[in-house]
Amino acid sequence: MIAIVGAGPAGLSAAVAAAKLGQQVILIDSSPRLGGQYWRHLPSNWGVGRPPYFAKAQELFDEVLSNPLITRFSNAHVWQAEKKAEQFNLYVVRNGVEEIVKAEKVILATGAYDRALPFPGWDLPGVMTAGAAQSMLKSHGVLVGKKFVIAGTGPFLLPVATGLAAAGAEVVGLYEANNPLRWILNLHGLILNPSKIREGIYFLKKLRSLGIKVHYGKEIQSAVSDGVLVDGKKIECDTVAIGSGFVPELSLAGILGAKLKVGADGTVVVDVDQNQQTSIPGLYAAGESTGIGGSSLAVLEGEIAGSTRKGKRLARWRAQVFATGLQRVYPVSNKWQSALTPQTILCRCEEVSLADIHGAIDELGAQDGRSAKLFTRAGMGLCQGRVCGRNVSEIVACHLSRDLTAEERINTAQRPLAAPISLGELGDGLEKNF
Amino acid sequence: MTSQNNFDAIVIGAGIVGATTSLALTKAGLRVLVLDRGPVAGGTTGAGEGNILVSDKEPGPELELALMSRDLWFELGDDVGDSFELEAKGGVVVSRGDDTALRDFAKRQQSAGVNAQLVDGNELRKLEPHLAPGMNSGAFYPQDSQCQPMLAAAQILKRVRERGGIVKTGTMVTKFVIVSNRVKGVETSEGIFNAPTIVNAAGTWAGEISKLAGSFLPIAPRKGFILVTAPMPQIINHKVYDSDYVANVASGEADLQTSTVVEGTRSGTILIGASRERVGFDGSMNIDVLRRLAAQATSLFPILRDVQLLRAYRGFRPYAPDHLPVIGEDSLIAGLWHSAGHEGAGIGLAPGSARLLTEQITGRSSFMDASPFSPRRFQGGSA
Ligand SMILES: Cc1cc2nc3c(=O)[nH]c(=O)nc-3n(C[C@H](O)[C@H](O)[C@H](O)COP(=O)(O)OP(=O)(O)OC[C@H]3O[C@@H](n4cnc5c(N)ncnc54)[C@H](O)[C@@H]3O)c2cc1C
Ligand SMILES: Cc1cc2nc3c(=O)[nH]c(=O)nc-3n(C[C@H](O)[C@H](O)[C@H](O)COP(=O)(O)OP(=O)(O)OC[C@H]3O[C@@H](n4cnc5c(N)ncnc54)[C@H](O)[C@@H]3O)c2cc1C
Repeated sequence: MIAIVGAGPAGLSAAVAAAKLGQQVILIDSSPRLGGQYWRHLPSNWGVGRPPYFAKAQELFDEVLSNPLITRFSNAHVWQAEKKAEQFNLYVVRNGVEEIVKAEKVILATGAYDRALPFPGWDLPGVMTAGAAQSMLKSHGVLVGKKFVIAGTGPFLLPVATGLAAAGAEVVGLYEANNPLRWILNLHGLILNPSKIREGIYFLKKLRSLGIKVHYGKEIQSAVSDGVLVDGKKIECDTVAIGSGFVPELSLAGILGAKLKVGADGTVVVDVDQNQQTSIPGLYAAGESTGIGGSSLAVLEGEIAGSTRKGKRLARWRAQVFATGLQRVYPVSNKWQSALTPQTILCRCEEVSLADIHGAIDELGAQDGRSAKLFTRAGMGLCQGRVCGRNVSEIVACHLSRDLTAEERINTAQRPLAAPISLGELGDGLEKNF
Repeated sequence: MTSQNNFDAIVIGAGIVGATTSLALTKAGLRVLVLDRGPVAGGTTGAGEGNILVSDKEPGPELELALMSRDLWFELGDDVGDSFELEAKGGVVVSRGDDTALRDFAKRQQSAGVNAQLVDGNELRKLEPHLAPGMNSGAFYPQDSQCQPMLAAAQILKRVRERGGIVKTGTMVTKFVIVSNRVKGVETSEGIFNAPTIVNAAGTWAGEISKLAGSFLPIAPRKGFILVTAPMPQIINHKVYDSDYVANVASGEADLQTSTVVEGTRSGTILIGASRERVGFDGSMNIDVLRRLAAQATSLFPILRDVQLLRAYRGFRPYAPDHLPVIGEDSLIAGLWHSAGHEGAGIGLAPGSARLLTEQITGRSSFMDASPFSPRRFQGGSA
């Protein structure tokens, strides 16, 4: 039995690859729908103007839904995991009830969530992550605003901007902090991946036809109730969608004791070998949790993890060259810190400001993200530091004029529970004799 | 050697015990240096709860220390300011079946000076309206209190600095400077520091520090988990314990024990503690421990069944074989003083321990007989 956690591009392709080899697969995802972050909301027939990646998604959806070897667990959160006597136990809360999934092989395809960088006013009601704005639109058909500004960095902002505009929102501008002309210095990443050039052209055309203006090398300085400030100029809008790259979701990898490592851009990822196997035998990882590289890389990694086929390694290498290009073209520099004011809230769950963090360091003896959290409650709220953890650690290190150590980065990326569980369900587990 | 590196006393450990001890020594007029290899409160103090309890202690030296300590906490609150969530919340112990043990225990505590009030089912429900049915008897302990221990340690050390003490974090003690069985100073990752008096307040690591000094102290870790829920409106007013908590605390058995303490915090989250395991420094998650804690908490408060668990964390309590803290001078090395091994009560006992140790170091008369806490009981000397 193979258990796969995550039904995004990586998990879907892993499931299909494993089932093709005759393996029994359980595909577990917390969402009611297949597809993960990016494909979850695809309509079953897109019609004209469908994006280039659609064909692959459709193929995988069809296969997963029709192959009898693949069992789907949707609305199912893996909250805890352990390896005992060569077997993995995944503890899953499905539709609110806890059950156990036992497997000899586990593939973690848990993806990533978008990284939000704080700026003055980012805690105002109309500011949200690009992913959240997109998901509200696609899952619930809700446009969260009328007049949008999209800001941050990375090509992932493009589908968000075009998606919102296509649904009838006014997108007054897309502010891309970096300049894609940098691709000139990373041309091999594009040349090896012509499909990415096509995807880029597709989105640039879409942006033009929807009348969305892209401002390169520009960041928003602050947000106020009815707009944002860029270069001292106010741009009116009612909603701001932000995203500066991604943070891999590593809870389960950490819980199972898999080795994590720090990538070139400071992002913590699961360390995997040629076959996508982690440091724990039988435990594999694929997709964004092993490094941010977009859906086509995720698909290839999933396929390799599911089948351990060598044939896809070259293709994966090509896609990885593109991923490295992404990191170089769309870096997140420390510049965001200089825009903060003492009053800027860093942890929105617990309303902790920059001044609070500086006070914890200067007056109370905090020296790292953990002690700053213990003294201020930053990261102790509902999201458990998923949003602010990395930002706070970087601020502490910067204030103490040092670099974050790899160990600190890895600590900040880990959480003891991969998903919440109710106390009732948790306690009832005692009688279930798992 | 510059005078910059010379102190009257060096305290090793910036946990709650080191913090309170250094403030007491500073107030006694000593020039104090506090050293910690990590940040302030980075050890067990940053991984526990902040209960300041008298309700769980048998009459005896630990209770005597706890009662003094509890009052000293409120003096500290006045001195340092209301900056660490100190609150006399009160504890409620409930019994589900035969309540003889609970009643006897409360009566013996009363004669030792504890304010323990026996309550019936109706009164219990007035104190805690959401308690499960079937809890017909209990005891109310108005003296039981709590604080936020990390903030307390940090605020107390801030006060130490304001009064001229020095706190050096990120400074690991690697070696002792000892001349004819008397301490002269310590070698650290940041250089040598000298003092005729050195306090070992290294908590769970106090045994290692003693070893560095050529002495011996049997302090071992006892693992504990705490559950943290998503924030919710206040429905639990006090600290609420199961009556077998007390039996657990006093027990020396190695295998797992859990007995619930449920309490709300100012931020709206509910803390559920605590388990006790002696498994060395094995930090791994024990899912069964979490289940037991949750089951016990929901059987006290069924309303908690639907509350989401957000996080679980663990720490290692420092404990001595006889479950009493070690407070006093080393019997082998002169000038080396210990205050460690407070197990699951280090927050509660810290100010009292600090006072007791400072009285001994400065040669004043002690507020209580300190001999039950003497390190000599493990080091083969007479107390
Ligand atoms: C706003 C936005 C725009 C994007 N635009 C593009 C684009 O234009 N081009 C592109 O190539 N890529 C784009 N991406 C990136 C794309 O989403 C990822 O490359 C791709 O989804 C990665 O696939 P994955 O399988 O690794 O993870 P995901 O698709 O993130 O899937 C992970 C799944 O695992 C589930 N999961 C995680 N933990 C658990 C658990 N404990 N229990 C149960 N289930 C769990 C999650 O619910 C999720 O469904 C975009 C992403 C976002 C957020
Ligand atoms: C789950 C749990 C729940 C608890 N709940 C409560 C409670 O409700 N109430 C209560 O009173 N107590 C409670 N406790 C117990 C309490 O937390 C401890 O007794 C107390 O924190 C011990 O404090 P300390 O200062 O002795 O040790 P620590 O806080 O561990 O401080 C020791 C310090 O020494 C430093 N150190 C070690 N070696 C060196 C070296 N070589 N050089 C420099 N520095 C060094 C460490 O870095 C550390 O910071 C709980 C404990 C746990 C684990």
